[in-house]
Amino acid sequence: MATNPMHQFSVHKIGPEIKIAGVDISFTNASLFMVISLGVIFTFLFFGTREKKLIPSKMQLLAEMFYNFIAKMISDTAGTKAKPYFPFIFSLFMFVLACNMIGMLPYSFTVTSHIIVTLILALFIFIAVTTIGFMKHGLSYLKLFVPSGVPAILLPLITVIEIISYLSRPVSLSVRLFANMMAGHTMMKVFGGFVISLGLLGGWLPLGFSVALTGLEILVAFLQAYVFAILTCIYLNDALNLHH
Amino acid sequence: MFDLEDLKTRLKIAKLKIKNNSTLEDEKKGSFLGFAFKLGTELVAAVAVGTIIGFILDSWFDTKPWLMIIFFFIGSAAGLLNVIRTAKRMQKEN
Repeated sequence: MATNPMHQFSVHKIGPEIKIAGVDISFTNASLFMVISLGVIFTFLFFGTREKKLIPSKMQLLAEMFYNFIAKMISDTAGTKAKPYFPFIFSLFMFVLACNMIGMLPYSFTVTSHIIVTLILALFIFIAVTTIGFMKHGLSYLKLFVPSGVPAILLPLITVIEIISYLSRPVSLSVRLFANMMAGHTMMKVFGGFVISLGLLGGWLPLGFSVALTGLEILVAFLQAYVFAILTCIYLNDALNLHH
Repeated sequence: MFDLEDLKTRLKIAKLKIKNNSTLEDEKKGSFLGFAFKLGTELVAAVAVGTIIGFILDSWFDTKPWLMIIFFFIGSAAGLLNVIRTAKRMQKEN
C-alpha cells in the first residue's frame, strides 16, 4: 500500500463525521493542510510586519519582497486600475504557494493536487472577474466577444469561438495547477519506489533522479503559484480595460 | 541628526532601485517559463470545453452526434486562438 504512488492523494477523515443537511463537511487531511498553510502564511506575515524597522530584519525583508513582487506584477500586467484588487491577488498567490510548498515536505498532503480545490479557486476568479467586468462596463462588456474589423458573415462563428475561449479560462487555469502538482508528486513517488525495489546495487541512479526531481518540483511549485496569480491579473486586465 | 534620518531613507530607496534592476532579468525568464507552461493546457482546455458544450446541446436538441462534432472543431479553433494570443503577449513582452 505504501508503495502505491497514488496513495499519497487519498483524502481521509480526521475526527468525527459532521453532516449538515445531508452534506458531508467532516474535517479531512485536506482541510488540515489548508489550515496549516493559512497558519504558516499568517505567522510569516505577522512576524514579518511586526517591527517596521527602517533597516529591515530578514523576516521583514522577505515579507516586503513578496509584497513588491506581487505589486510589481499587478502594475505590469493590469495597470494602476487593478491596485484595489491587490489584497485578493496577494492572498491567492500566498495560499497557492504555501499549499504547493508544504506539499513538498515528506509525509505531507498537497491540497492543490486535487482538481476540486483548484477548480473552485478558478471558478471563483472566473465569476468574480465576469462580475467586475459587467459592473465596470455594463452590457458593453459583451463587446469582448465581438472583435472589431470582422466581416459580417464570419461574425456569428467568431463570437461562438470567443465565447468558448472565454469559458475555457477556468478549465485551463484549474487543470494546469492540478495536473502539474499531481504529475510531479506521482513521479517523485515512482522514483522513490524504484530506489527501494532496486536496492543497494541499482538504487543510486533513481536516487539521483529523485534529488533532481525534488529541485524541479520546488521550481514548479513556485512557478505554478506565479502563473495562477499572473493569469488572474491578465483576466482582471481584460475586465478592467476593454480593448480587444 | 535630522540629516542622518533623511540619508537613511534615501539610501534605502537607492538600494531598492539597484535590487529591482538586478532581479529584472530573472523575473523575465521566470515569466517566460510560466507562459511556456501555459500554452499546452490552453489548447486542450478549449477543445474540451467546446466538446462538452456540444455534448450538452446535443442532449437538449436530440441531434446526437452532430453538434458535438461541430463544437469539437469550433473548440479547436478557440484553442488555437488562445495559443496565438498567448504567443503574441510573449512577443510583446520580449
